[in-house]
This record gives sequence, C-alpha cells and structure tokens, in this order.
Amino acid sequence: MSETAAEGGPGGRDGGPGGQDSVGGAPVDVVLVDDHHLFRTGVRASLDARVRVVGEAADVDEAVRVVHELTPPVVLLDVHLPGGDGGGGAEVIRSCADLLGRTRFLALSVSDAAEDVVAVIRAGARGYVTKAIDGTALSDAVLRVAGGDAVFSPRLAGFVLDAFGAAAGDVATGDDELDRLSAREREVMRLIARGYSYREVAAELFISIKTVETHVSAVLRKLQLSSRHELTRWAAARRLL
Amino acid sequence: MLPDDLTARGPVLPGAGARGVPRPRLPLRRPERGRWVGGVALGLAAHLGVPTALVRFLFVLLAPVAGVGLALYGFLWLAVPAGDPADAARAARPSALTRLARRQSAAEPTRRLPLTDIAVGVVLVLAAVVLIAVRSGADVDVGWLLPALIVLVGLALAWSQLDAAQRDRWRARTGGRMPVSVVRLLGGVLLAGSGVLLLVAESAGRGVAPAELVQAVVAAVAVLVGVGLVLAPWWLRLVRELGDERAARARESERADIAAHLHDSVLQTLALIRARADEPAEVARMARAQERELREWLYADRPAPGTSIAAALRAIVAEVEDSRSGPQGEPVAIETVVVGDRQPDADTEALLQATREALVNAVVHGRPPVSLYLEAGADGVEVFVRDHGDGFDVDGIGPDRFGVRESIIGRMRRRGGAATVTCRPGRGTEVHLAFAGRGEEGRPEGTPPEEAGRPAAAGAAPEDAGRPGAGDRPPEGTDRSPGEPPEAEQRRVVAPEVEQRRWVAAPAAEPRRGAAEGEGHR
Repeated sequence: MSETAAEGGPGGRDGGPGGQDSVGGAPVDVVLVDDHHLFRTGVRASLDARVRVVGEAADVDEAVRVVHELTPPVVLLDVHLPGGDGGGGAEVIRSCADLLGRTRFLALSVSDAAEDVVAVIRAGARGYVTKAIDGTALSDAVLRVAGGDAVFSPRLAGFVLDAFGAAAGDVATGDDELDRLSAREREVMRLIARGYSYREVAAELFISIKTVETHVSAVLRKLQLSSRHELTRWAAARRLL
Repeated sequence: MLPDDLTARGPVLPGAGARGVPRPRLPLRRPERGRWVGGVALGLAAHLGVPTALVRFLFVLLAPVAGVGLALYGFLWLAVPAGDPADAARAARPSALTRLARRQSAAEPTRRLPLTDIAVGVVLVLAAVVLIAVRSGADVDVGWLLPALIVLVGLALAWSQLDAAQRDRWRARTGGRMPVSVVRLLGGVLLAGSGVLLLVAESAGRGVAPAELVQAVVAAVAVLVGVGLVLAPWWLRLVRELGDERAARARESERADIAAHLHDSVLQTLALIRARADEPAEVARMARAQERELREWLYADRPAPGTSIAAALRAIVAEVEDSRSGPQGEPVAIETVVVGDRQPDADTEALLQATREALVNAVVHGRPPVSLYLEAGADGVEVFVRDHGDGFDVDGIGPDRFGVRESIIGRMRRRGGAATVTCRPGRGTEVHLAFAGRGEEGRPEGTPPEEAGRPAAAGAAPEDAGRPGAGDRPPEGTDRSPGEPPEAEQRRVVAPEVEQRRWVAAPAAEPRRGAAEGEGHR
C-alpha cells in the first residue's frame, strides 16, 4: 500500500532506531507474576541488564496488590494463576484496569490453548510469548512492550489469523473495520507466524520496522475490541493447535 | 451484545470434525450469558442453529395467541436445564479426545436477574393494588382470588426445587434427616390441594344441585392436575440427576485412565533422564518428546484419526524432532503454527511428505530456530518451512542428489502443486509448498486423479519403507549429503518412471514451475 512506497528503501532494511532499543539507558522495571517459584528464579536469571525485576507475585491477589504498589512499566504475567475468582492472568489485568495507562502487561504462558492466550490479550495484555523463549528475546519483548508496542509470537499470530478467518481470504477493505484484518495486516501476521522477526518482516515487505509495529498494534487493537465477542470459542471450534 | 454470538456462526462444537464433517447439534441448554429473561430463546436458537432474534420474535408473536408463547416459554424455562450449550457439548465428548487442561473463559462475570426478588415484588404490588381496589369500593371477588393465590404459591414452592436442586442436595447432606425438597413437595401438594378444594367448594356453593356430580368430577380432575403439576418437577429432577450422575461417573473413569497413562509416561521419561544424565543431547530430546506428549494431552482437542491434516502434521513434526539432530548432533525443536484445518486427501498427503523432507533438511543442514507454518483453507494449503542456515544453491544441487529436487520439488509438481526454495544470505532458507484448491486445474487432462497420484506414491514408497526405522539411523545419514547410498539408490530405480510422468504433467504445471524457479534464483 502507500507506506510501501513512502518508507521502503534503506530505512526498512536495517530497521533504524525504532524498536528494541527505544527505551534509552536505564533498565526497565518489571514485576514478575508466576505461581512457580522455580520458574520465577529462572526468568530473573535469564533477563539481561536492560531489565530489572523489582517485584514478584505468586497468585492473583498478591499480583494485584504488588502491581498497584509498584506500578511498574511492565508486568510479566503468567496466564494460569491460582487465587482470586479463578480468572488467572486475565483477572489480574482486569483488576489493574485503572493502571493500564502506565503499566503494560506481557503474557507469558506454557499453554498452547488459544482461549487462554486470547483471554489475556482481550483483557488488555500487550503481547504474548511462550515460556520457552530465551532470556535475550524475553528482554527484547519487555523493552518492546515498555515502548508501547505489541509483541506477537508466531503462535499468537497464528491464533489471530485463525480467529479472524484470514486464512479463508476474509480481508477487510476499510480501515475502521474491527472484525477483519486488512490485507497488509494479514501479510504481516503471516510472516510473523512463519517465524520472521519484526526486522525481517520489515525487510521482506520493504517497509520500516515502525510500520510493522503500527500494523501489529492495529491487529492487537482489533483483537481486543472486535465485536467477535466469542473469538476464543470460535477459534476453538476451528480447532487451533 | 452477546446474545447472537452463540448462533451467528451456526452451531459450533469445539473439536468436532474438520471442514466438511457435519457438526452435531448443540444440546438444549439455557445459557447464563446473554440471556434476557430465562435464556430459553438463546438456548433454543443455539440448539436449532437459527438466529436468536428470530426465536425471540416468534415467542413474542405467539404470546398474545392464547398465551401459547408464554406457556411454551414457561415450560421450556422449567424443563430445560441451565448451562452453556458449548460446554455441555464439550462435556459430551469422550474425554479420550478432550484436552485435560481447564479452559479459561474470556467471559466477563455473568449478571443474573434477581428473579425471586422480582416475583416477590410483583406479588406485593398485586396485593397492594387489590387492597386499594377493595378499599375504594371496587367489587373484587375475594372468594376466587384467595384460592387462586394459594394454588400459585403452592406451585411456585414445588417448582422452585428444580433450580435449587444443587443447594438442596447440599442442605440435605449437611442438615437434618428430612431434606428440604420433601418439605417443599409436601407443602406444595398441601397448598395446591387445599386451593383446588376451595375453588371447587366456591363454585359448588353457588351452583345448583343437579350439577353436583359433574362438579365432583371436575374437582377430582382438578386435584389430580394440581398434584401432577406439583409432582412433575420432582420427577424431572430425579431423571435429570440420574443422567448427570451416570455421565459424571463415566467421565471420572475415563479421566482416571488418562491420568494413569500420563503418570506412566512422565515417570518413565524421568527415570530414563536420570539414567542418562550425562548425555545432554539425549536428555534434551527425551524432555522435548515428553513435553510434546503432555501438551497434546493437555491442550489439544484430539481429533479422530484421519480427519485433520493439522494432527498429521504434528505427528510428522514429532517424528522429525525425535529422529533427527542438528549438524552437531543436538536436538532441534520445530516451532509449529497451524492455521485452519481440513481433511487429508491424496494431495495433502504428498504435501505432508514434502514437508517432512523440508523439515529434515532444515533440521539436519540448517540452523535453528526452525519454523513451520501451515495454512489450510477451502481454497488451498500452504506450508512454509524456514530455518536460519545459510541455505544452498538450488541450481548447484548435483543431479545425483535427490533430497530437494525429487522428494520436495518433484513431489509437489507431480501433484500439480508448487514448491519454491528461497535462500537469502543472513536471512535463512525458506521452503514454500502450496496446493491451490483441490488441485484439479494443475492436473493434466486425460490423466485420471488416481493415475496422477501413482507416481508420487511410487516415489514415496522406498523412503516410506525406510521410515519406521528412521530413529535407528545415525544422525549423520541425511537426504542431502552426496554419500548416502541406500535411499538415493532406491530412488534412482524409480526415477525413470517418475521422469516420464513428469513430462506428461509438464504443460499444465509449466507456468507455476516458471514462477517457482524465478523465485529460486533470488
């Protein structure tokens, strides 16, 4: 589309300053929410110097309290959590809705189930990564979320494509349509699902990383606001991985 | 907002067969979410697969017709159990095919109408209206009103046990010897009976003597109807509880089987890992295999065999992860994303075999991470296999090396599909396989589908024969290395026939091949 012509070229190739290093020198404060002590220890050890863990929580109630106390820029949040009303990570985000302007949530899950992931995203998480992610990639993801961008793993991109029926060629024509992806967004999602990083997506489509981030954020917004209320059930009916 | 979602996309059943397999009807339930009054219209619409608005409209339309709509609604409200149709459908699935992990619902907490409060309020308002009417001198026939009220209260008492079945059971267990439901039932019968008697007495008192016999019959019938109405919910509840308990017991035993299976496999793997703790590659591989198995049990809706290419693809990924290693002998995990699904056919079988070859190449010769993406829809199937290795020159592959040329590109072209290998320095290697539609247009005229299917099957045969033992093969044995006698040899035997077929297929496949090669040079 139009941005291809406008922003293609060298800037698109090597990514420019946008993206991962946009948050300057000071480390980003993070609260870690997971009910497994072992896993929290592992994550804390694997995060690099750009990220600092300032608090931890093991269940829904503790997480809500700690997040309200510390209001960190980023919360790493497990999808499945004990406590509260049994709503897990999504419940934490809903209970912290008053902080959503300052605090951003990044979902971290071992689950392969679309319902679990889409539930936290719809509650307001800015992204989703699997627990198999390595420390550097996780730190990148944290910085990206802190910078206000969305983080899509290949699997989440797959969920999105499935939920919006993008595989069937069901593509939006207008910009303001919430229930369908635009052709460009679909292209970006497909590349991410194929294992491309944002940088590689940008290079592949001859657009800048910033544009890729814009598309991904737009998709995230659609996922959160779409009137396809039963996205998750619908996705389950289509039998995702 | 919510109401139409259940039905807008027709009856959906999670985990039902793939595309083309008819989905069974959703069971009749009254959903909690999105209901306006009792959830009857919503549940009925979901059950019948029609828009909720239509059902609601019909109920409203039928309401003035002698109250048929109201009566029907009331009957369904009482007779249909509350619950989520989709959940009920899920629960009805054999648990051997169901995921074990709890599903997290994206649902906001449900808001229910405080029906009891509303009913009490309505009764009080009515009483007040009647009182005022009497006070202001209106001629209200209290003789009819009181018995009617008593009958209504009795019925309400008896029927109320239906919705409160759960609470009752709990109270009956913890409380005294006499369950509340019995009190309810007796009270209901008593009240309704006395109400009916009063009504009859009222009419008898004003009636004339000859009609006494008729009145007695009417009274008897009325009492019977009253008792029947009062007993119906009790009987309904009994039947329902029986069914529920039976289903629950069956589910329990199935779950126990699954748990036993899981414990066995996990414990065995842990024992193996402990025994071979000094072989990191082997330990990593076992852990990965176990993780995959657990995930399958926990998070996947396991489809019936032969209905899903996603499941077939997962099996292939598992086989490759288990049997192949990277260049240094390290196990390689394949990140798999599947979008959509469809039933396997001969074309997708060829596609999956080609995918397997591409995966083996990526794992053995490429560099991790290896990504696999499959997109299946009514209008085609596409597969992307990507690794971060330096790739290879497609044109530089010697004629004696069949891995890529034959088992990936050749196999796809023979079936009328397209295969592209893209290598870009620093950006890894990507193999793209695609079938458009049913692949009919890619098939040469005059060649029946079965015939066209032959060569691919023949080409696949030798290596398929060797596949079961693939795990025993040393990791160095690869499809792309020149010095791999057995498989290459076998393929060469088949090659002439295959070659011939390919010429037959050439005209139809030409444009695609041109495009494919153009990409390959990039």
